[in-house]
Amino acid sequence: MFNLPVTNIGGSELFVLEFGDIVDYFSVYTAALFAFALIFTVLAIVSRPERMVDIAFGGDAYYTKEIDPKLLRFQRFMAIACGLATLGAVVSGDVFNYALFVSMVGITNIGIVAAYRNKHVLNAAFQYGIVAMLATVPLFGGAAIVLASTGTLSLWELYLPAVAVPLIAKVFLVLGVMGEGMAPFYVAKAEITRAQGAPFILMVHVSSLLVFLRVVEIVISM
Amino acid sequence: MDLVYSLGLLVVFLGIIVGFYALMRERDDLHRILLTDLAEILALALIALVATDLAEALILPGLVVGISELLAVSEVYLAKEELRTPPVAPPLRIEVMESAPGIMALILVTYGIVLSGFTGGAIAAVGALFYYLCKGHDERFDLIETVSGYAWVFWIGAFFIFMFLPAYWFFGVMIAGGAILVKVMAKMSLIGTMRGGANV
Repeated sequence: MFNLPVTNIGGSELFVLEFGDIVDYFSVYTAALFAFALIFTVLAIVSRPERMVDIAFGGDAYYTKEIDPKLLRFQRFMAIACGLATLGAVVSGDVFNYALFVSMVGITNIGIVAAYRNKHVLNAAFQYGIVAMLATVPLFGGAAIVLASTGTLSLWELYLPAVAVPLIAKVFLVLGVMGEGMAPFYVAKAEITRAQGAPFILMVHVSSLLVFLRVVEIVISM
Repeated sequence: MDLVYSLGLLVVFLGIIVGFYALMRERDDLHRILLTDLAEILALALIALVATDLAEALILPGLVVGISELLAVSEVYLAKEELRTPPVAPPLRIEVMESAPGIMALILVTYGIVLSGFTGGAIAAVGALFYYLCKGHDERFDLIETVSGYAWVFWIGAFFIFMFLPAYWFFGVMIAGGAILVKVMAKMSLIGTMRGGANV
């Protein structure tokens, strides 16, 4: 419609990693997403947010926060797991694996948000958890409809121009990813970004962004 | 597409609409968890409708993801509602439990070891459970958990023998049989004895 110079938005393919039928691949696009996710996973591993300092707005007063190392450890673990799930999701060459990794991102996001013991935050995490669970219906439903209508789940096959994926499957996939990756919207509601371990909240945003970017590629190329 | 598939899809979609509508109306958080579980089942039904071996293989990971999400949300619910206090269960007061000989537990466990494998594990677990119920269960359950963990490692190790050294299949069978015995016994003896006491 707009005469894009490159019809294949994934770019040329760089490296293919085969596990039997399951093919992970790095195109220019997915490699960029992978590198981004990798950087933030490494940041989650090496960051030491134990010494958080709040600065009073408009003055030069500052105070340190009381931080519980146990909760922080759990949050770091969840952030790293979330990073790994994101790494898997962005290079997956299989619709179902993509769906699985995305729901893993959803679970770890609940974990990151729920690590902070506060009534409001836990309430938000609970609501988000319900949404994430409901999102598995369209997510896996979409993958199942792709399988039923085309007979394959491999993105290699689905990207071929001869294979037509029904619109409803694409809509379902996008809906599912929207539900799983909507943690940032709940974070805005909760006061968690100024709570302890706030750097790990970054992972929630990064993972959502990356799985959204990947689903856009998948749905457009399919 | 097949007529049966389209019809099944229609039914599942109706189910999804009903389930989501119920969820929209529901205000109680605990009920909402249960309703989301229902929604997960509908997702599995969508996959199952494809009715191929591949779909069958996809249901298991889907189920695992659904269960783990359910567990996570339930944990959040428990933390949110501060339902952490352990439930106080009345101790089992049955006269025959006081007088039953402990040797029966030993017999059951020995018979289980002779049987080995899954059945043996179940029978040995009945023996262990019997012992706990009669004599009380002030044991360190983390020991049982550790043993269970090592049994799992042995079990997986046996699979590696099957895969990489098939000539030694007999050792593989023996290791796997013993490990599954310990694993089933450990798991089943925890069932019913874990009441959230101080030393669990």
